[in-house]
Amino acid sequence: MKVPYEWLKEYVKTDRSPDEVAESFTYLGLLLDKPIEKYISGSYETDILDLEHRMDRSDWLSILGCARDLAAFDSNKLLYPELQTEKPIKPAKNQIVDIQVLCPDIVNRFTTVVFRNVKVKDSPDWLKNRLEAYGIPSINNIVDITNYVMVELGQPMHAQDLTKMEAQEIVIRKAKAGESVTTLLGETVEVVPDAFVLTQNDKPTVIGGIVGGIKTGVDKSTTNIILDAGNYNQNTVRKVSRLLKIQNETVIRYDKFLHPNLTEIAIKRAARLILDLAGGDYYENIDWYPEKHAEKEMKIRYERVKKVSGMDIDTKRVEDILNKLGYEIILADEEGFYVKVPYFRTDVEVEDDIVSDVLRIGNYQNIPITSISETPPKEITPPIYKFEDELKDICVKLGLHEHITEPLVKRGESNPNQIMLENALSSEQNALRTTLYETLAPVLNIYTKHKISDIGVFEIGKFYTKETHNKSEKYNEIRVLEVVYKNSTNDPKIISQRVKTYLSTILYELGISGFVQSKSNENTEILFNKDLIGYLKYDSLTLFTEKLLKYKRQNDRVLSDFRNYKTEDLSLSIKKHRPIGPIIDKITNMDTDILGIELAETYIGDNVEKGEKGILLRVTHNSQKFDKLRDKIKTVLQEEFDIEFR
Amino acid sequence: MDKEIQQIRDDLANKLENAFSVDKIDQLYLQYFSKKHGIITQLIKDLPKLATDQKKIYGPALNTLQDEFKQKLDEKKKKLIQNSIEDPSIDLTYAEKPLNSGMLHPTTQVIREMNTFFRYYGFSIAEGPEIETAEYNFRKLNLPEDHPATDLQDTLFIKEPDILLTTHASSVEARVLTDYDPPIRVAFPGKVFRNETVNTTNGSFFHHYQGVVVDKGTTIQNLKATLTDFHKFLFGDDVVIRFRYKYYPEVSPGMGTDMICQFCGGNGCNVCKQRGWIEVLGSGMIHYNTLKMCGIDPEEYTGFAFGMGLDRLVMQKFNIPDIRKLYGGGIVYA
Repeated sequence: MKVPYEWLKEYVKTDRSPDEVAESFTYLGLLLDKPIEKYISGSYETDILDLEHRMDRSDWLSILGCARDLAAFDSNKLLYPELQTEKPIKPAKNQIVDIQVLCPDIVNRFTTVVFRNVKVKDSPDWLKNRLEAYGIPSINNIVDITNYVMVELGQPMHAQDLTKMEAQEIVIRKAKAGESVTTLLGETVEVVPDAFVLTQNDKPTVIGGIVGGIKTGVDKSTTNIILDAGNYNQNTVRKVSRLLKIQNETVIRYDKFLHPNLTEIAIKRAARLILDLAGGDYYENIDWYPEKHAEKEMKIRYERVKKVSGMDIDTKRVEDILNKLGYEIILADEEGFYVKVPYFRTDVEVEDDIVSDVLRIGNYQNIPITSISETPPKEITPPIYKFEDELKDICVKLGLHEHITEPLVKRGESNPNQIMLENALSSEQNALRTTLYETLAPVLNIYTKHKISDIGVFEIGKFYTKETHNKSEKYNEIRVLEVVYKNSTNDPKIISQRVKTYLSTILYELGISGFVQSKSNENTEILFNKDLIGYLKYDSLTLFTEKLLKYKRQNDRVLSDFRNYKTEDLSLSIKKHRPIGPIIDKITNMDTDILGIELAETYIGDNVEKGEKGILLRVTHNSQKFDKLRDKIKTVLQEEFDIEFR
Repeated sequence: MDKEIQQIRDDLANKLENAFSVDKIDQLYLQYFSKKHGIITQLIKDLPKLATDQKKIYGPALNTLQDEFKQKLDEKKKKLIQNSIEDPSIDLTYAEKPLNSGMLHPTTQVIREMNTFFRYYGFSIAEGPEIETAEYNFRKLNLPEDHPATDLQDTLFIKEPDILLTTHASSVEARVLTDYDPPIRVAFPGKVFRNETVNTTNGSFFHHYQGVVVDKGTTIQNLKATLTDFHKFLFGDDVVIRFRYKYYPEVSPGMGTDMICQFCGGNGCNVCKQRGWIEVLGSGMIHYNTLKMCGIDPEEYTGFAFGMGLDRLVMQKFNIPDIRKLYGGGIVYA
């Protein structure tokens, strides 16, 4: 909200500097958004305060509304603008412009008056200057007055030339497809679904709450006008303006919750200015307002103020603030005040909102600072959170770098389980990843660009899938650790060895021993107790962190006793492409005396038959009689794998 | 026996002379002096089998032999070690390339720092799903359908209007308040998503850090104290902060917190957009309706909530100019 300081002073007399006033605004809830700028036009000069407006306070989109809070904050007086208090002329029957509302779900109130024999001309300088300082160009006195009152009070208004209207009526109805209105700027705006229009003879002249048309626009030839102030469903206006991509001074006010009471006040204010600046005769017309909006009455208890703020605030001070902000005190008792909420404070929902008013007008800076004194409640951090944090440290220990990558990706081809976004801005990011690999692996390219090779990266995050059962969809977030590795050799064999080392080390650190790397179709599955705990590819590994948490054990790596383990080597010859994992797994689990098996060497050459490879397995064991064990191994290898010792 | 001793002496002397590695010396030691099978050990062990007069001669002789050669082996070993250290090809005067040690992502580092702070103050850490329902993301936070504040956050929908990607970590707040009974003291870093046009400072994917406290007697004074300490922790003891009213739908009263721009000392610069102040946090007392909707009696309990975007802080701390680099793999660790 842009507030020309000279205009603001119309309602709050103050000698304070614009900087000081801006500071008051900032504390009370209207943050100075941009540095104060000077606006100069001829001899007119004012500072412009650009205040950040949040979505709640529709009255803060009016200078009077801003002034009201400022006056309360600075213990100053608020001066109200003058309204036309004398009653308008009762029109003859044939002078009445008929108002019909065919969409009462959208229109809450539509207040109209008529002026005849007005003189449309340029606005006086003070009006022109204020409007232009605010940022609205001056057009003529009538149009300027409607804009002025809108900025002053927050109620958008609209004047139409009565003689240009095809019929003496305004019918408000839902727009029909294909209808359009040509604006004052000459642009043709086509209606969208949900829009509503003001029509004569069923022809739209205004898109309700959005923009007026040139057809019935007020110009210098105009003498008779109908002035309207409507109150509409703000959600409709918001929706329509978004679809039309129109954001103007009218829309930013109409898409907030304005109270219907405001239309009447705005009309009276505009009437006063029109009669002052354009003369003419002021006629009553229809005020369509079938269902009066109730005014809110609420209680504010001292006890509640204390509960929220921790302070005993002087009751006089509370009363003073309430009065200054326009609350009407209906009843005061020992508990507090029963108040009527001012109509313009459509944001006030609960008692604490009034407490907020008391505290912010008292200035948050004056609230004492008191540390929490209660003892901390019981710890509820989820174990998986702590575990994934530990896992990160393990990965870093291995020299892996952590990356966090964006889970939004371009939709993959033909994956029915991929979760799609319905309203993505870009087709490059219209779905959720189905593996972590797809967003993490590209990171390695950046390293290549930086000429860093031999690099392993990891991410602990989620990928997402959906399952469809009987038309209902279930969305899964799967937590994984993903490691991807690359080195300058680009040799998959060398790369895979490192990836396997990462796997072994991570699981070793977690005390998960006896896992199996089992080749299935495309992937190699990592199994523990026959449960799938992850996947292995030549350049990457995926581990399900929830499974790791489930299976992790204390790892006895701290030794105080000497372990008298022995090692024996077994030399075998097997088919060149035969996976060794199952053989090792079999021997490992054969006897409790076998503590571990390491593939010490593989070799091909003179001593090995063609198509075969020699392998040397180093068995760590605790057996006193290894010969027996060796025989056992020999039998199993023969029977189950058809393999002989060399 | 004399001959035997002499033979051993000659052999060992010979072998010792030809041993040029520490390993070899160790082997010789084991060969001659190991407790079970050492050649000399064995002879000493066999002494009791000899006649008394023989014992008198060979006992001392074997002991001398043992002492002499243990010493010689020892000396030679020391000498070899010394020689190897003094090897002129060992050059300690230049630095080697450092080992490739892993790094945590900058955001993780900042999250951990913050977690440390809040853990010290008795907070647990919580998290929630990234695919959320409108119920937890909006409704329970006092954002009814069509509330204008939903405009503040452009939502990415999976199934409009009910299933979406969480737009703020407040959805975790709604879950914690629903799932746990007070007293509650929880902080939550979270990944959040917005349907925004991506530029250098706004991505569609970023991080929030939020927290809530609910207890009997929790007041806005406690909120001010917590945030004051938190700012000092983040920016140093001499940080200057201010508290002002700011509207957020899920709190009432709402509060904004700014600190004096540390780049210009409050005079206004590009970093603070000439304001002199930098907004760090949004906060407030948890809305009456939010507590109620999460099943907590707002007449018995009060609470506060606070939240901030993490990424700007991370980018500042690590000198990263573009949020897309932070999460798009645009950073590497050198």
